Amino acid sequence: MSSEKPLPEQVIKQTLPSQASQNSVAKAATIPSELILQIFKYVTSTADLKSCILVCKSWCRCGVELLWHKPVLNVRESLIKLLVTLSRSTQTFPYALLIRRLNFTFLIEHVSDDTLKRLSSCERLERLTLGGCRRLTDNGLLKLLDKADGLVALDVSDIENLTDAVVELVGERCRRLQGLNVSLCKKVSDKGILAVASKCRSLRRIKLSSCDIITDQSVVILAKNCPHLLELDLTNCDQITNKAIQPVFENCTQLRELRLACCTKLTDESFTKTMPSLYEQLRILDLTSCALITDQTLLKIAHSAPKLRNLVLAKCGNITDEGVYHITRLGKHLHYLHLGHCSRITDHSITHLARHCTRLRYLDLACCTQLTDASVFELSHLPKLRRIGLVKCALITDQAIYALIENRVVQHTLERVHLSYCVNLTVPAVLELVNSCFRLTHLSLTGVPAFLRPEVQRFCRQAPKEFTPHQRQVFCVFSGKGVKDLKQYLNNTVITQQRNRITNGVGNINDQVVGPVAAVNAEIEESVVSEAEGVGGDISEGGEGENENGHNQDDNRSRNRVSDRNPEGEDGDVGNALLDF
Amino acid sequence: MSSNEQKKVKLTSSEGTEFQVERSVAERSVLLKNMLEDVGENDMAIPLPNVTGPILTKVIDYCTHHRNDPIQNHDDDPKKSSEDIDDWDAEFCKVDQGTLFELILAANYLDIKPLLDLTCKTVANMIKNKSPEEIRATFNIANDFTPEEEEQVRKENEWCEER
Repeated sequence: MSSEKPLPEQVIKQTLPSQASQNSVAKAATIPSELILQIFKYVTSTADLKSCILVCKSWCRCGVELLWHKPVLNVRESLIKLLVTLSRSTQTFPYALLIRRLNFTFLIEHVSDDTLKRLSSCERLERLTLGGCRRLTDNGLLKLLDKADGLVALDVSDIENLTDAVVELVGERCRRLQGLNVSLCKKVSDKGILAVASKCRSLRRIKLSSCDIITDQSVVILAKNCPHLLELDLTNCDQITNKAIQPVFENCTQLRELRLACCTKLTDESFTKTMPSLYEQLRILDLTSCALITDQTLLKIAHSAPKLRNLVLAKCGNITDEGVYHITRLGKHLHYLHLGHCSRITDHSITHLARHCTRLRYLDLACCTQLTDASVFELSHLPKLRRIGLVKCALITDQAIYALIENRVVQHTLERVHLSYCVNLTVPAVLELVNSCFRLTHLSLTGVPAFLRPEVQRFCRQAPKEFTPHQRQVFCVFSGKGVKDLKQYLNNTVITQQRNRITNGVGNINDQVVGPVAAVNAEIEESVVSEAEGVGGDISEGGEGENENGHNQDDNRSRNRVSDRNPEGEDGDVGNALLDF
Repeated sequence: MSSNEQKKVKLTSSEGTEFQVERSVAERSVLLKNMLEDVGENDMAIPLPNVTGPILTKVIDYCTHHRNDPIQNHDDDPKKSSEDIDDWDAEFCKVDQGTLFELILAANYLDIKPLLDLTCKTVANMIKNKSPEEIRATFNIANDFTPEEEEQVRKENEWCEER
């Protein structure tokens, strides 16, 4: 909301006469408008604010300012009516000039070039969020941006028709721009970025994810001209080489967030030779699939960026235990670590990690196939662990799950647990996990034979559309209510079975095998496992399906869709809304 | 610490009544805190011509109760909803409307942000779920729109009725 604080001097001037006479008592009608605005800031419902503006003229002026500052546009009808007001020849207030922020996140289907043309009188726009409005073309955007001199943040991500013409105009007009998101605008080239970089010197955040025709040239000029950069996202810009990274480290001394996922040409040289000996402000570094980097990079990073909080090293296949040892230098600062597919690492380094990086909240070890229960024993002591990913850590057994909950540390914190393809797990262990971790909202068990049965899978969420029939068959991910339902179902069946056993005697075990099986009884469990293994026997790489990617998709979604939505809420401030300056 | 606690500050209300408060209490007001820092050790009473005795009593009451609260970040925190008012604060705000608005003016003048927030939230809660007519009645505000003006404003802002 508006951040202007009422100036005390002004208020005093207005209140002094009436106050001095002492007889008059303050009333709503005599409260200065600055304070009415202050009150209205707490009138959070639009409907209430709407009532306020019809009370009297002075309340109207205050309320209208707030209502139009950042119009809430959740449905198409709102947008249409708003456009009607803006097209009226006589207006009580210059409404278009009151609009400072527009966010079309919920109307992406309905925003057309015509919409933007009709909004072109909004000359005081500061923040504009159009990410995903794929119907738009340069026509509408050029019209709206032509007068948007005061624009501070622009999100035009995922508008596939957008070309350099728009980006160049932004450079020309929006000299105060601080945030730009052109992720997935695949037509944007060095030409556009050069225009922005050379004119918008106060740029702080720029997202170029999947702008894959841009080259080192863009990055070099951004680094040289925009020393205030806090965030640089070059995910999937796979033409980027070491040459681009050097000027970034040299010039952008405030950079907090650097995303280089899938910049596959980068080598250790990017870091070992060019990263300053102290690059202390860096908090987030994503090197997913920078497969050429080795432990040497990690050695350098751990020394130069001692306060690094998030480190993503998924699919950096050269990383070994030595590299993880280097990372542990980050100690309590490290909150988020992704080591998925770093299959060379072993229990040794994970043990060390768990003992030194004790504030880890998020840890992904998917496909670290050498890990055993020993790693999980150690991780179970992490007092803040909210999310753990162990997909395809196939050596893990029930013992790991029991250990995880036994010392009662993580059961208060765990929210998301990924156990897909941990094929040894059985129902009793998982039930114990679900029963004791009361914050659990996500549990993935894809490809775990003990759970591949219709009576359990009916509680799991729907498999993504693009999955093959086989992937659907093994898909088993519970979230939200699904976790609760699973818990209830398993508990009920166990209770029923225990009761049966008491009444029937343990001898009648064969009866139970036929019924709904979620047995506490080891014999029964064994028979179920062998049976199910027949179904999912050929767990291929393609059958990964949910896998760690099920989770990655979540992350990417919140990362790319820059606006305020972060469905998991688990990235916290890492969620990095472009609009949050 | 204890010697600091003992230090008293004198304040004079608009009627000329003198109040003595501990310095740590007075310093909840940014205005007074700055003044005290400027004048240094001094026995002079600080005149507050904009605040009446009864209102100053209430303000001191509030500052005494909240004397040990952590100092609020200066940033506005609009996410804090008007719902979360603790019991003591809610009780504190059970006053007649005149006093409530006087408190808003005093909190603003003395620059006591938490008190300003509290009193503004309380008024905002009185607005909730009311029609314009009910709001006017609640706060005794005259409708100065002509029917035509009112109708136009209503039409122009129709867009925000949709949910």
